[in-house]
Amino acid sequence: MSWEKELIDKANEIIELYPEKRSALGPLLYLAQEKDGYISNDSIIQISNLVGITEVQVKSVASFYSMYKEEQTGKYLLSVCKSISCEINDSRSVIDSVKNFTGLENYETDNDKVFTFEEVECIGACGGAPAVQVNYETVEGLTPEKSLQMCEWLKEERPELVVADELQEKFGGVKSFDWAIKDNTGSSYSVPGFQNIGTAKEKNL
Amino acid sequence: MTDQIKINVNGSEISSKPDQLIIEACEDSGIHIPRFCWHKRMDPVGMCRMCLVEIETPRGKALVPSCTTKVSEDLVVETESEVVKKAQEGVLEFLLINHPLDCPVCDKAGECPLQDQTMAYGPGESRFVEDKRHFEKPIPISEIILLDRERCILCARCTRFSDEISGDPLIEFIQRGNKTQVNTFPDEPFRSYFSGNTVQICPVGALTSTSYRFKARPWDLKKVSSTSNCSSVGCSIELNVSQNKMLRILGEDNEFTNQGWLSDKGRYNFEYLHSEKRIEEPLIVKNSSKKPNINEAMDLISNEILKGGDPNISFIVGHNSTNEEYFALNNFAENLKKVENTFGNIDIYLSDDYLYSGFFNGDHSLAEIKDLDSADTIVLWAQDIKDNLPTLYLRIKQAVRNGKKLLIFGHTNTAIKDIAEEYFGGDIVTNNFEFNVNISDIPNFSRHIDGKEVIAIVGKASPLQNTNPISELIQYLEANSNLKILNCFSKGNTFGALQNLNLVKGLNEFVNEFDISKRNIVFTIGANPVNNSIYSLKIKDSLVNADFVVSMDLFKNETTELSDIILPTTSLGEKEGTFTNLEMRTLMQNKILPPPGSSLNEWEYLLTLSKKINLEQVYDSETQLNALLCKDYLDEDNIPSFDNLNKPSNLNGVLNSKTININIENVDSTNLEILFVHRLYGDSSTQINSPSISMLSSERFIEMNSATYFGSYMLYSDVVTLIQGEISVQVNVNINDNLPDNLLVVPINRRGFQNINPEKKVELEVAKSREQLNVS
Ligand code: SF4
Ligand code: FES
Ligand code: FES
Repeated sequence: MSWEKELIDKANEIIELYPEKRSALGPLLYLAQEKDGYISNDSIIQISNLVGITEVQVKSVASFYSMYKEEQTGKYLLSVCKSISCEINDSRSVIDSVKNFTGLENYETDNDKVFTFEEVECIGACGGAPAVQVNYETVEGLTPEKSLQMCEWLKEERPELVVADELQEKFGGVKSFDWAIKDNTGSSYSVPGFQNIGTAKEKNL
Repeated sequence: MTDQIKINVNGSEISSKPDQLIIEACEDSGIHIPRFCWHKRMDPVGMCRMCLVEIETPRGKALVPSCTTKVSEDLVVETESEVVKKAQEGVLEFLLINHPLDCPVCDKAGECPLQDQTMAYGPGESRFVEDKRHFEKPIPISEIILLDRERCILCARCTRFSDEISGDPLIEFIQRGNKTQVNTFPDEPFRSYFSGNTVQICPVGALTSTSYRFKARPWDLKKVSSTSNCSSVGCSIELNVSQNKMLRILGEDNEFTNQGWLSDKGRYNFEYLHSEKRIEEPLIVKNSSKKPNINEAMDLISNEILKGGDPNISFIVGHNSTNEEYFALNNFAENLKKVENTFGNIDIYLSDDYLYSGFFNGDHSLAEIKDLDSADTIVLWAQDIKDNLPTLYLRIKQAVRNGKKLLIFGHTNTAIKDIAEEYFGGDIVTNNFEFNVNISDIPNFSRHIDGKEVIAIVGKASPLQNTNPISELIQYLEANSNLKILNCFSKGNTFGALQNLNLVKGLNEFVNEFDISKRNIVFTIGANPVNNSIYSLKIKDSLVNADFVVSMDLFKNETTELSDIILPTTSLGEKEGTFTNLEMRTLMQNKILPPPGSSLNEWEYLLTLSKKINLEQVYDSETQLNALLCKDYLDEDNIPSFDNLNKPSNLNGVLNSKTININIENVDSTNLEILFVHRLYGDSSTQINSPSISMLSSERFIEMNSATYFGSYMLYSDVVTLIQGEISVQVNVNINDNLPDNLLVVPINRRGFQNINPEKKVELEVAKSREQLNVS
């Protein structure tokens, strides 16, 4: 479970970007999560050695933020917004339809490790409410039916990479901003696709 | 004074230092603002909001936390307004939402800031009817600390202490919101030398110690201030006793020394006082059926002394006696010398391998601990500070945190390398502790020294080191900087011994001067030189060959085994006297417990003996002894007499010096293979008879760098057998790459290592079983 050389090199590259080693903690935790689907204690030990703080200090940060997962997530992390704008645009029924399809309660993962379901606070897509994220790739303007279709599609197709624009095209509706540039990068795990830390992957659409 | 500003609190004007926090300024003027998270020795965090006060701002009155807001000229503060009261009630009601209110079964009840402040400032009732959070309770977070998480009010005092003060952040907040809890990382317990401090500063009963849990109620405790003899820092402590049993030691905030903190050894090394193994009656070692009373014992000893034959009389004394006791001993020895034609040589030896002439007596300017805070540079060449002077380490760490530069010379202080500006290891210092290069050529050294305010903390790093390099270093520093020296003899009341003995010699001198052809009477007084010394084997030989050995001690040990008679003595809390710390600050040690059985103080034995052999005696009590020893202090205005020390203005001790005479031969060593170190927890009889901490010294490990590990010894196991002649010990190996090649670090105060010869090669073999090695 401990880290391969390649991953350690990548971690060191990230550490280089910061004036102080411990500032790289956030991105390194994403690397850890991309590796195992959650932040394992082994990874915590590895990170603590890399940035020179104690294990429990790493654990403290990792357990504070809800986007760092302490347990294994499914291949697709479905984060359905339950905050105000989505709520008044009937996110309840979107939530229900996702819950119905997956059979999951909040923070649960199915046995096949395909889906993890969670209800989250505002994901910054109020203009296109109700909104959902799959592995932190945002889809806006969903309906109960579309969200059901999206889940089915994910389950059938099992795309290696989830890309926001692709999901939006297939299942989305109204968008907050229509003039944004096309973006073909996505993420392959329950980790946001950040270009600078290398968690974003490109897809030929 | 110009550097004071005026602020207005509750309608009256008070003066404050500029830049002070409101809570501190008010405290200094006697206005108490309730608080949980703020602690004057740590950075403020504004975590609990209990300290909210109203201040006037350009936009009207505002509630601000007084622990994070600084005073400014003419600031108007309200600490008791209706708004403040409402805020305090609100904060307390919220804090109590998840607090179990299990005061009837909680150790803190009676001295609990949460309980007290809820009484004083709380709303009186709660509107919370929902379920409180529950946790498994208590969880051990180390061998000696327990945690009841549901009691925690998340003030972060414990986590800040471990990060800011002691520098071993092994506890942190885990999770967040309602689930937030203090915890450790799995399999990484809160093993800190200072963990007990968190128990003392926790404002609720969340952190408790195994040694005190469920033992007593605060209102049943009798308390007295005293001074710890855990190290020569002389930390101020409070002894807590109930029904004639010592139950707890707390740190007291002495501005000049420990500032409230203690090492866990200083805090928990007291249970031995009530150990069943304690000697309470005089004992004839070779005939245990004969039980003399004190009078018979004294007759026996005086007969031996007066038996004739020109005996040499030697005293080997430890470092736990009071100044009065050292003085009485000195007086006894001097009086024996005055008797004509009866005795041979009469000598006193201090049981300490690290003694050398040091730097004293006006030729050098000596430092106080507080000078660390104003120096530019701190130079350290000494024993492992963290293990031997733990609270001095905290002061050094604090100075470093405030921007002072720490320069460490190898190889004993690798554990604190990370706080050093420069660490001079194997390139600069040889394995025999000599300089590899000219001092002026040490890279990055002179720029921290030249023309700067420098404090040198110096002492022998290893018992076998030649001390010429230390003198060279001091010479260089005195020539190039404004130097103050802190002599680093680490043990208990060593400085009291130095001040009150006319001439101090060491164990090497004892061995060399021991004349087997003469009749020899040896007294060992609170010393166990047959264990823990590099001269142990030779001392054992001498004692076996001595004609009569008297031991004054608390327990049977390796030394008392060889004696003819053991006299039970007293320890911390059982005797009154003074203690002198490494900056020559003399502090009070107070009595709160009766001596067990027929134990007497060391001076009482010496006095009785004096009477029996008709020596002149000039004292009859501790107070008289104290008055006598106060006569030859150099500074007449600051005499550490009992009366003076009990004055409120002198509770932090008084500084004063005496002429010091140390006569120690410089040792020469070449080819050190082994560096002996003293770990904080060892096998002294007081520690192994204090159950809470006795197991902390069970692990046996040696250290070496990886080149030595893989290269010279070709080991591929972390469990090995260390062999030297007849000796064979199973040990764990820790890799420490700050060590130079071919140097093994061996803890001499752990079982099994006493008889190893540091100048001979040892063999290491991979041990057969890989099980963790623990010896009880
Ligand atoms: S355990 Fe005690 S000291 Fe630590 S955060 Fe909780 S209340 Fe504060
Ligand atoms: S409320 Fe759902 S995206 Fe803002
Ligand atoms: S004491 Fe000021 S916020 Fe806690």
